[in-house]
Amino acid sequence: MQATATTRETERAAIRPVDDRFAANDVRLSPCGWLVAAVVTLAAFWIIPLVWQSLEPLEMGVDYRIPYRLGNDYWQFERTCRQACRGDATILIGDSVMWGHYVGTHQTLSHCLNESSPDRTYANLGVDGIHPVALYGLVTHYARAIRNKRVIVNCNLLWISSPQHDLSSGKEARFNHPALVPQFACRIPSYRATASERLGIVVARHFTFLQWADHVRMTYFDSEGLADWTLEHPYDNPLSRITLELPSPDEPPSPVPDARPWTEKHMRQITPEWVPLEDSLQWRFFCRTIDLLRKRGNRVFVIIGPLNEHMLTQRGLAGYTERQVAVAAWCAQQGIPHAVAGALPSAAYADLSHPTAEGYALLAKQLMSEEAFRD
Amino acid sequence: MLFHSWDFLVFFLVFYCVYLFVKGTRLKLPWLLVSSYVFYARSHPVYLVLICWATVFDYAAVRAMVKTRWKRPWLVLSIVNNLGLLGFFKYGRFLVDNVNALLERCDVPFAISDPNVSFLSTGLNAALSWLGTSYRVPPFDFMLPVGLSFYTFLSLGYVIDVYRGHVERERNLLRHATFISLFPQLLAGPIERAGHLLPQLRGVPKITRDDVADGLSLFVVGLFKKIALADYLALYVGMVYAAPRDYQAPALLLATFAYAWQIYFDFSGYTDMARGVARLMGIRLMLNFNNPYLATGLGDFWRRWHISLSTWFRDYVYIPLGGNRHGEVRTYINMILTMLISGLWHGAMWTYVMWGAVHAAGRVCTRALEQTTVYRERVPRFAKQMLTFSIVMVAWVFFRAASVSDAWLILGRIITSGLADPLFPLLLVGLVLSVWVYQYVYESRFRRIVSAGPVRAVLIVAMLIYMAAAVTSSNQEFIYLGF
Repeated sequence: MQATATTRETERAAIRPVDDRFAANDVRLSPCGWLVAAVVTLAAFWIIPLVWQSLEPLEMGVDYRIPYRLGNDYWQFERTCRQACRGDATILIGDSVMWGHYVGTHQTLSHCLNESSPDRTYANLGVDGIHPVALYGLVTHYARAIRNKRVIVNCNLLWISSPQHDLSSGKEARFNHPALVPQFACRIPSYRATASERLGIVVARHFTFLQWADHVRMTYFDSEGLADWTLEHPYDNPLSRITLELPSPDEPPSPVPDARPWTEKHMRQITPEWVPLEDSLQWRFFCRTIDLLRKRGNRVFVIIGPLNEHMLTQRGLAGYTERQVAVAAWCAQQGIPHAVAGALPSAAYADLSHPTAEGYALLAKQLMSEEAFRD
Repeated sequence: MLFHSWDFLVFFLVFYCVYLFVKGTRLKLPWLLVSSYVFYARSHPVYLVLICWATVFDYAAVRAMVKTRWKRPWLVLSIVNNLGLLGFFKYGRFLVDNVNALLERCDVPFAISDPNVSFLSTGLNAALSWLGTSYRVPPFDFMLPVGLSFYTFLSLGYVIDVYRGHVERERNLLRHATFISLFPQLLAGPIERAGHLLPQLRGVPKITRDDVADGLSLFVVGLFKKIALADYLALYVGMVYAAPRDYQAPALLLATFAYAWQIYFDFSGYTDMARGVARLMGIRLMLNFNNPYLATGLGDFWRRWHISLSTWFRDYVYIPLGGNRHGEVRTYINMILTMLISGLWHGAMWTYVMWGAVHAAGRVCTRALEQTTVYRERVPRFAKQMLTFSIVMVAWVFFRAASVSDAWLILGRIITSGLADPLFPLLLVGLVLSVWVYQYVYESRFRRIVSAGPVRAVLIVAMLIYMAAAVTSSNQEFIYLGF
């Protein structure tokens, strides 16, 4: 007992010099203070993105498409989606083929379809660079507004033209829209993010304020964080950059693409390393996207292609045709109305998968001639 | 695992839910220990072996120390073991490089091989050869085990305290292991004292609503310091210090000024988060920073900066060396030695030794001045603060520069180069100035203004909104994890 008491004494002597007061500056809240701060902060997180929508007008004409600069801005995508779905528009979703990488807003597929069918409106919700795995994420998390709408989905077989495109190559690769791919639900061989990065992405998907903050960065600060931006513009007032004007949908991609036909750009024929459909990750996610849309009551129409057949060697073409047939068969088996984009003239392609303005007009004509499409 | 990462948040939520249930039971210590090891092993699983070794060795040494009459050999053994670990993993390469450089300069055709590379692979290969296998392991390059400098000092402090009779031996191995590896303080301190932390691990922690509120406040402030301020400052500092020849005096001066604040925000932010996490668990860790840039002298600075380390050096190095008990000359020698060792503790580079040397020189030069009546009574407080901050800034040049020659180059260019526009972001100036003004007001008679509840609430809300809106993902490590 005495020993214990002595020990306590000596310990107390050692404890005395240790300063364990709260902190030097007392930025400290009581439990009640925290409650108030939490309510105010959460209210701000909820209100700011809401109010922002009325401060920053989104004027969508018939041929509106998401500005290239905002291709990774999923908050803006969701907003555009909601606005596009207010009317009776048919929604076009897909990658840069739908978006119109080499053409202006008045030359895209949706524009050509709008021209050929005055009684129906087609809204371009294509996103540059969106591959099927990311498309599934986009539809799951940000396209809830298109529920019950007629949706046209582009099946671009370019995404299975190599293990790298398919994301099934074992090597780590940089690809578009990593924030849209599944983070924990399934393994994507080419995707190597840390657990913390994955968690951050999952949190951001459910936290509108963070999406809004990304929107502000992409719209007004050249996609840079405030810190990086001020480093480049040390004496500028960041608030003066916020003009509340969205970029024009006609703003060309960066770098500006060469819109000439592929034949004029010294491109050569290629033989893609086609991935078998049954092994393809992209194809699996394409199927999931279609399933999801149908579960949400969407009337889905699939456009298979186009792909520049002239740019393929004979072996490459055989691989393409085989997959094109298989996709069409799958659609038929699932009872999904679809159309296989027929070969366009060689000069109607800007590269392996993107049509030129002339190509889009021809494609629209082809589609309008399909009864299933018109229905 | 970094405090400002999402995986830490998940880890802590899981840990905390269980902790609340087991804190009053026998499972408390096993749960704390397992969680601490998981926290550490998340990024450096191999080096768990070192923590376990340091833990078991010192447990055994202290046990033997208490059970026998011969205490000193066990103390020496523990010191040798802890410093041996530090020496091998932290200073081995530095020592070999310097010895080899010396041998080369003396034209001796001999060089020592790098122990960090050769030790394990040579040993394993010898074993494989002895077993008759033809397989050989490739050279294994060690990294500095994160937290090594902190937990070896923590453990060493405990052994010395038991030796001195300041604390009782911890009989429970689990508690001893938890004390060494408690996750909030494992990677970069504060370097706790056994007399302060062990008793807290013995009882049932009481977690009050105030503890939770305080813990959250500390964590949010620390997070803001790290991701909103330190990482922001790091961008400018990194840019200028990467190519000092490309910048002129204003940029170099501002980068040094920015670094002074960067390292303060980085390390005090880490400490705040560590203390906040511990407070949520009902454990109080010691104060590590107390507005150091308001210090009015270098002695005062060291009572405010990295307090847990400076008091460690005071208690276990400076005072055992004789402190100020053996006349002026010995006092100065002890002071210089302590500062040089403190510099070397930060890293195995001459830049850190120089940093310690600048502090030592500054302390030697200002100590006599500080003792004069004129300086004490006539010189305004603000002027003293500026003088102290200037000396500290000069020392930071050595601390941050890639090499000693770079540091001299920077100091030289600050004095001799032109006055080109430094392009220092105004927003950054505003942020740092507002923190400095806040601290200044806090230490003045107007303290009540910044201590008012609504002011604090507005500050916390502003920090939370700023972090969510303006900070992009931050995965930059803490500077002190490198030590």
